[in-house]
Amino acid sequence: MEIFRNIWRRKLRSTLTISGIVIGVFALTTFGAFAENFNALIDGGVQYFGGSVQVGPPDGQAANLLPMSKIDEIKSVEGVEAAFAGYQFQAKPGGAFVVSFGVPDTIVAADPGEDAYSALKLTYASGRAVSTTSRGDVALGYTIAKEFKKKVGDTIDLPVRPADAKPDFINHTFNVVGLISETKTAPDSFAYINLADGQMLLRDSLPAQLRDSIDVTQITEGISVYGKHGTSLSELDKIADRINSEVPGVKALRPSDLVNAFRAGGQIFTGAAVAAALLALVVGGLSIINTMFMAVSDRVREIGLKKAVGATTTNILREFLVEATFMGLLGGLIGYGLGVLLVVVRNVFFPAADGSSLFLITPMLTGIAIGFAAVLGALAGVFPALRAARLDPVIALRND
Amino acid sequence: MAGVRLLNLTKHYKRGSEVIKALDGVTLDIDRGEFVAVIGRSGSGKTTMLDLLGLLLKPTAGNLVIDDVETTTLSDRERAHMRGRKVGFVFQEYNLLSGLNVYENVMLPQRYVKDGAEGKQRAVELIDRVGLSDRIKHKPSELSGGQMQRVAIARSMVNKPSLILLDEPTGAVDTETAQQLVDLLKRLNREDQVTIVLVTHDLDIASQASRHIRLKDGRVLSDERVAEAVPV
Repeated sequence: MEIFRNIWRRKLRSTLTISGIVIGVFALTTFGAFAENFNALIDGGVQYFGGSVQVGPPDGQAANLLPMSKIDEIKSVEGVEAAFAGYQFQAKPGGAFVVSFGVPDTIVAADPGEDAYSALKLTYASGRAVSTTSRGDVALGYTIAKEFKKKVGDTIDLPVRPADAKPDFINHTFNVVGLISETKTAPDSFAYINLADGQMLLRDSLPAQLRDSIDVTQITEGISVYGKHGTSLSELDKIADRINSEVPGVKALRPSDLVNAFRAGGQIFTGAAVAAALLALVVGGLSIINTMFMAVSDRVREIGLKKAVGATTTNILREFLVEATFMGLLGGLIGYGLGVLLVVVRNVFFPAADGSSLFLITPMLTGIAIGFAAVLGALAGVFPALRAARLDPVIALRND
Repeated sequence: MAGVRLLNLTKHYKRGSEVIKALDGVTLDIDRGEFVAVIGRSGSGKTTMLDLLGLLLKPTAGNLVIDDVETTTLSDRERAHMRGRKVGFVFQEYNLLSGLNVYENVMLPQRYVKDGAEGKQRAVELIDRVGLSDRIKHKPSELSGGQMQRVAIARSMVNKPSLILLDEPTGAVDTETAQQLVDLLKRLNREDQVTIVLVTHDLDIASQASRHIRLKDGRVLSDERVAEAVPV
């Protein structure tokens, strides 16, 4: 109660001080939520690409195609446990290029058996995964399902016909058999179909003159290679090196290179959050120090009186530290609340066209934002509190 | 039996190369329940003696025993605890906290001593005894000088101290109010058997104490016990 009273005693000064913390923590919350969202995306990439070796065509090859026979060659390489063909297609071809912080909607054709090896496990909010045998089924990721307002039992035409599509544009109607639980990473914007349907879309994507001359069942866009369960990143790198040396006509990417590339991207956003935190530290911390020093000067007689009636140095130190911490905490709660409000307003009232979110509030971010503000307040209060606690009661009592 | 014993109590300050002898080897006993007035000119050492008795200052030399406890060897923390338990202060400028009401101001020392419900009950009783029951929720800004000093007196007694130190308690009020305050102090002294040491310039006020100690240049010039204090 007295803390409120002491803070409220100098309304303008306290309001300005707390505002400094509010601005800092608001920045920390919004930048942090932005970084958390991006980092969740990156974590998924790190998880997926850190657990497999991606094999594509060699450098210099124009078409992104490989003979299916390469899978057997790769399987014979030491350390390789499994290898899967796969295809990817734009789900919304022909759209204008936009800057995005997410993965664009993508049709992914994969062997359902690959999920047993992938480090990124998918679970289903409703329905099931597509099967190897049944044709025309699709399982939709969280955001793509939200974007097209689809549920299990609905149908969806893929790829989505662009508004300015030519008459010969081909797409197919797929039955939605499963909705994938939110992953906060790439699969949220994926539509999963089986390999046979992927080969059908591959054929559709070829120039009309080539469609009948290429057997799409004999080609793949890429190959995902897995070692035994628990194979380390460095071991996977060695597998990639062996594939490159033993299998001609392919290029295996070292998973550690991909993981490092993802992490480097994430560091930019983490850096932005840290910059916001430093801003909070400088602005909020200095204003709390200033306010608390002024509070000590204003309350010299009060401190002297409290010492005269039995307060120890620790009592006085604690009182001022608690007050400074409370100011930091109050500013932190308000700043965090405003940050969350902005995120909610943005996500609920102004959602992205593709249904993806730009911000992600996590328990860790909540703890950091509010905890940081409280710790900042406490640290900023240390010197003023020490000054108060060390005041000579005789001098303090007779202070004018 | 002495409640307070000063033995060659000395407080010297250094100002450059000069040594100021604020209190210079004072030896005296103050019995429990005595009402002592300390008088003397400015710079005679009255306030220094009060600060030493209140454990706000550490002596340069000598001994100070309060309720059989030798205080000069106590740590800062022990001195603070003893101040909270054994000593009450009343200042000329009242030193009430403006944000707190009468009850909260009286309860301030309880924050560091914590007698629980008993302390709260004592605060209410003391407010009643100083005649401010109808002002219990009032802030200091809503009180007269005399009322504020009565709050300060109640505050000084809330921890049941054995010694109350008053530094010019009537210096900021008119003569009539000053007399009312002294009457209150005498009554509390009589009823609670609390030792009172009052520093004042006002000889009329001092004359109502049961003992008069006159200081000059940090030494005791005279020390007179009065059989029965008679208001002038």
